[in-house]
Amino acid sequence: MSEFEPNIVAFLCNWCSYAGADLTGTTRTHYPPTVKVIRVMCTGRVNPLFVLQALRQGADGVLISGCHPGECHYLKGNYLARRRFLLMRNLLEYVGINPLRIRMSWVSASEGKKFADVIAEVTEEIKKLGHLKSFKREIL
Amino acid sequence: MNIQKLRDEAKRAIGRKEVTHLIGYQKGSYGFRISPVFIETKEELDRLTFSPLCSLSLVNYITIEGKPPKDNEEKKSKMKKVALFVRGCDSRALNQIIAEKGISRDSLYIIGIPCNGVIDLKKIEARFPDVLDNAEVVEENGKYIITINEQSHEVPKEELLADTCKVCQYPNPITYNKLVGDEVEGHPANYDEIQSLEEKTPEEKWEFWQNQFDRCIRCYACKNSCPLCYCDGCILDKLTPQWVRRSVDPNENLMFHVTRAFHLAGRCVSCGECERVCPVDIPLMKLNRKMEKDVKELFDYEAGKDPELKPLLNTFNLEDPDDFVL
Repeated sequence: MSEFEPNIVAFLCNWCSYAGADLTGTTRTHYPPTVKVIRVMCTGRVNPLFVLQALRQGADGVLISGCHPGECHYLKGNYLARRRFLLMRNLLEYVGINPLRIRMSWVSASEGKKFADVIAEVTEEIKKLGHLKSFKREIL
Repeated sequence: MNIQKLRDEAKRAIGRKEVTHLIGYQKGSYGFRISPVFIETKEELDRLTFSPLCSLSLVNYITIEGKPPKDNEEKKSKMKKVALFVRGCDSRALNQIIAEKGISRDSLYIIGIPCNGVIDLKKIEARFPDVLDNAEVVEENGKYIITINEQSHEVPKEELLADTCKVCQYPNPITYNKLVGDEVEGHPANYDEIQSLEEKTPEEKWEFWQNQFDRCIRCYACKNSCPLCYCDGCILDKLTPQWVRRSVDPNENLMFHVTRAFHLAGRCVSCGECERVCPVDIPLMKLNRKMEKDVKELFDYEAGKDPELKPLLNTFNLEDPDDFVL
């Protein structure tokens, strides 16, 4: 049987992390092909429901990545997201879902290497955790 | 609680020309039931009552009515006031709604009642089943004196008191126009129950909540009884996308309850009404109080303490914890 490949949904902000991910590609940096990118305008746009829904529809982990604190294109979107997902992680941990499945990262447009590292690290962690079968919807 | 004092205060309130009506409590149709009453004239005042049985929050009726048709905005600005009774938790709920600009403080005439805790209807009905005639309950020296068909029974307060009232920190109304009765003392913060659940392993927690949510019939009584649940378009009613499906599935229930608990993060005022109305006894306050605890510990924020305070998730602090961010 082949090795378990996690399925990670990444919400990347348009201004920093998406550009960062682009740089990773243009500089031909290698990173695990486990991540499915959804571009959003800002991490502040990511509704906690998106995360739950991703997990329900078969994601093993969710990554939310945006601009470094103080560098948000919309000034405070990433701060609001940080607060929101900190609480969200605590709540999911409380109902028995490992909080490591929901990660946040700050990746700027120039940090192509960091993006590759983040994906590698998140992939490694979720590989250890395995499939999130229990929360997955049986009929999509 | 002196009911005559309350009626006098209510009389003065509806005597004011800007107050259109008053929302209060009256005896329900049978047994220990209590229902809301809307009073417009002085003749109706003797229907008013207040007892430890009054567990429902009258704030709900403000937000249900407080939604005039959109083209009525202008009339709304010359709005009349609505008078209502609030206890400690209701007062915090109102503060929170005012802070969220869900309702204007100027449209309310608030009569505050310091609250000694309410009776859990499930507990009292289990103890005195099949009571058809209206019963009277009075609190005296740590006991409830319950009069059913002219027979009185004494029950220690602890046995019937609602669980949330046992850990209530703010029994006194915070924002009010008039206060009836003397202020009472609250309990210290106590999150032992939450902590003991937090310390379990992820598998145990998953198992615990699956067993709880397995019973949920999604009647949405928790949602409907919640004073803070007043959004115009609820995600639960949405079909595209349908965030929570109708199918019978504990995980779908989990999705609903997690969404609900998260929506109440930093907003829940711990009135405990959701738990009391739940027909299948899901310990919903365990979810809500977990959020309350985290919000307090992480952001030093408590819902409804101040009507001027900005809502928790609309604000941020540069020093918010970020050790989970890569």
